[in-house]
Amino acid sequence: MIQIRGLSKSFVGQDGSVVHALRDVDLDIDENEFLTILGPSGCGKTTLLKAVAGLIPWNDGDILIDGSAVRGPGPERSMVFQNFALLPWATVLDNVGFGLRMRGIGRAERDERARALIEMVGLSGFETKRPGELSGGMQQRVGIARALAVEPRVLLMDEPFGAVDEQTRRLLQEELLSIWERRRMTVVFITHSMEEAVLLGDRVVLMSARPGQIAEIVPVPLPRPRSSDVGAIERSSDYVEVTAYLWDRLRDMHTEHRPSKVAG
Amino acid sequence: MTATAGPRPARRPGLARRVLDANLPYQLLAFAVFAGVWEVYAREWGGLLIPSFTETVEATAELLGSAELWRAMWVSNQALVLGFGIAVLAGVPAGILLGRFRLAERLADVYLNILLVTPMAAIIPLLVMSVGFGLASRVILVTIFSIVMIVVNSRTGVRQVDPALIEMARSFGASERQVWTRVLLPGALPAIMTGIRLGLGRAVTGMVIVELLMVSTALGGLILEYRGLFKAPLLYGTIVIILAEALLLISAARWCERKLTRWAGSA
Amino acid sequence: MSALVERRGATAVRRRRLSWRRLPAAPVSLAAGAVLWELIGRVADVPFFPPLTTVLGRLADMVSSGQIIGSLGDSLLNLALGFGISLAAGLAVGVAMGRYRKVEAALGVYVYALLTAPSLVFAPIFFSLLGEGRGSIVAVVVMYTVFIVIINTASAIRTVPGHLVEMARSYGARETQVLLRVILPAAAPMIMAGVRLGVGRAVTGMINGEMFIAVVGLGRIVTQAGGRFDGASVLAVLLVIIAVALGAVALVQAVDRRITRWVPKTTKDGL
Ligand SMILES: Nc1ncnc2c1ncn2[C@@H]1O[C@H](COP(=O)(O)OP(=O)(O)O)[C@@H](O)[C@H]1O
Ligand SMILES: [Mg+2]
Repeated sequence: MIQIRGLSKSFVGQDGSVVHALRDVDLDIDENEFLTILGPSGCGKTTLLKAVAGLIPWNDGDILIDGSAVRGPGPERSMVFQNFALLPWATVLDNVGFGLRMRGIGRAERDERARALIEMVGLSGFETKRPGELSGGMQQRVGIARALAVEPRVLLMDEPFGAVDEQTRRLLQEELLSIWERRRMTVVFITHSMEEAVLLGDRVVLMSARPGQIAEIVPVPLPRPRSSDVGAIERSSDYVEVTAYLWDRLRDMHTEHRPSKVAG
Repeated sequence: MTATAGPRPARRPGLARRVLDANLPYQLLAFAVFAGVWEVYAREWGGLLIPSFTETVEATAELLGSAELWRAMWVSNQALVLGFGIAVLAGVPAGILLGRFRLAERLADVYLNILLVTPMAAIIPLLVMSVGFGLASRVILVTIFSIVMIVVNSRTGVRQVDPALIEMARSFGASERQVWTRVLLPGALPAIMTGIRLGLGRAVTGMVIVELLMVSTALGGLILEYRGLFKAPLLYGTIVIILAEALLLISAARWCERKLTRWAGSA
Repeated sequence: MSALVERRGATAVRRRRLSWRRLPAAPVSLAAGAVLWELIGRVADVPFFPPLTTVLGRLADMVSSGQIIGSLGDSLLNLALGFGISLAAGLAVGVAMGRYRKVEAALGVYVYALLTAPSLVFAPIFFSLLGEGRGSIVAVVVMYTVFIVIINTASAIRTVPGHLVEMARSYGARETQVLLRVILPAAAPMIMAGVRLGVGRAVTGMINGEMFIAVVGLGRIVTQAGGRFDGASVLAVLLVIIAVALGAVALVQAVDRRITRWVPKTTKDGL
């Protein structure tokens, strides 16, 4: 469904130095696949996702969705942000309805659809609260509801659970799995946690830094649905094995780069 | 900061405690001390030029009942309303544009920095030379006094809107116009309101200064007149009234600001 | 997102932008302003807006006749006295307000009120108290400066992280040690922010005070020149005043940078 061909992107820093965030990335993502992308900090994960989202220009290569080239954001894609990116002045209801509003959908329908999603992510009763009154986990539930409200075929998630505490993170992982099992769509999910990548993904794309490249694509041989018994999945030998393998590869990358500091 | 360690039973504080924890008693106490010192000083060493606290209170009351004061108020505030209105109408859009367009901002920056620290009163003579002693020069001065604050804060407001929010809006397909109306302007509103409140404070300052320094009419004119006639209590009373007006206006602006931007405090 | 459509041209665009960024904006902008001033002054040919060259010529005359130097000295003395008093009083009151809740409760509203009030209306009061002279001008400068210093100092002290104070106590620091070794250094960046704002206000107070109580200083020259409808002299002195203001601010900033060298750059911008 999504085809990335020879994608390269470099940034010019304030001092004129050039950072190769992505070099020659090729990747095919299937319809309704849950793909996780794993890699050390600064390896270009966010850059890759933003390129797919159509938020940044790139230097070379193509991104095709169902055969047509990405030229900017489109209605079939929506994004969940690491730091939530909620409008602090808007209520939960208006935040969830934001994407619909951008598409010119009127108040009545917008609110109805937003309410349905607020219920889906377990925030009923919080419709009139503002982001400042919510915990981090609740804020990201709003972010997820906002992204789902526009009924995307592709959900792009940039370390969505990176800024919440461990227990909330586990709850959100389970809920995301159960939502996705009920309502299939293509998900591209970035993380720096091996466990998260394996628990959620059909395949794990392992990236290496400087320049940002795909090091390896690791299939995850775990059965679906997974949301019903996450504990059993985590005790299975396949899970343990894949996680251990990913850590071996990541550790190699870190030792290779030890002398030069890894950018945050 | 005075907490000492050790076991201490948790108890609802008594009435005396709660009164002592509130601000009002201390405020009243501070005011009483101030008034008392003033009264004693004026009675013992005051002389013709320094009225006592009670004389000033009486004179203030007397002024509030006089038509002369209200006429002066009317004349002074015309300049305030017009000048401040122009400053808001011109300053907010100018600030927003500077916040959005880097090049314009970089070129204007040096002038804004100069204007922020330059004592504007020094241009009053030029104003008088160009447009005379009438309403126009007072209006222009009020505008000049207040507009810089409004421009600078509006600019900062637009600049400090989280770029992640703009990116988020774009990812949902927002047009440039939608980015403005749904993200940039609401996000900048608190800072714009702050600029308007600070600008109002400076507008009042400008209104008073121009009357005191060059165009001796209205409230400033009253001060100069009472000083010339050695009517010290009335002089002090006029000052009290000007201060009261300034504080009332600024409190009103602060109240509006809170109403409009409640989310900014909690976020 | 039209940028995406022409993404292959993106690098070229960036290079052009970069060269713009390298150009120092301030001198370019000032030069353009100077040219504009000269042109408008010549074309308009009005007494209240003489061209830049005329103003600079007048400035040179005033400097060589000694008029500027003497007044500048008087003004700087007023400024130094007023600013010094404000600094001492502002720090003392501000520390007391930040440290003791009751002091804050008693004085807070009044300090805020006086911060926003039009300070020059107090000039006639100082007149009656201190007479027509330097004392009144210095008092006006203090009125303009001291409250911003108090408020920033108080909130700086109040926002020093509690865990730093606890850390010092856990090592047995006494109250004065906590204040001198932990609270004041930690509060320094924000206190200095108040001082920076204060010096700008002090210059304003100095000029306004001198214009109102026209006995000494640059402000007096402005008032007198204005009375003679001498636009060139007013603008010439205005240039000197701007130089004084920028110089004073730069001086405080230099001191600030020495004091707050430890503050990371990102948070410093936020203050
Ligand atoms: N706007 C930018 N300007 C300059 N360099 C950038 C910019 N965004 C990202 N980079 C650099 O590109 C590299 C990849 O960044 P990013 O995609 O954010 O990594 P990740 O999300 O994997 O941590 C990093 O070295 C980062 O410093
Ligand atoms: Mg990232």
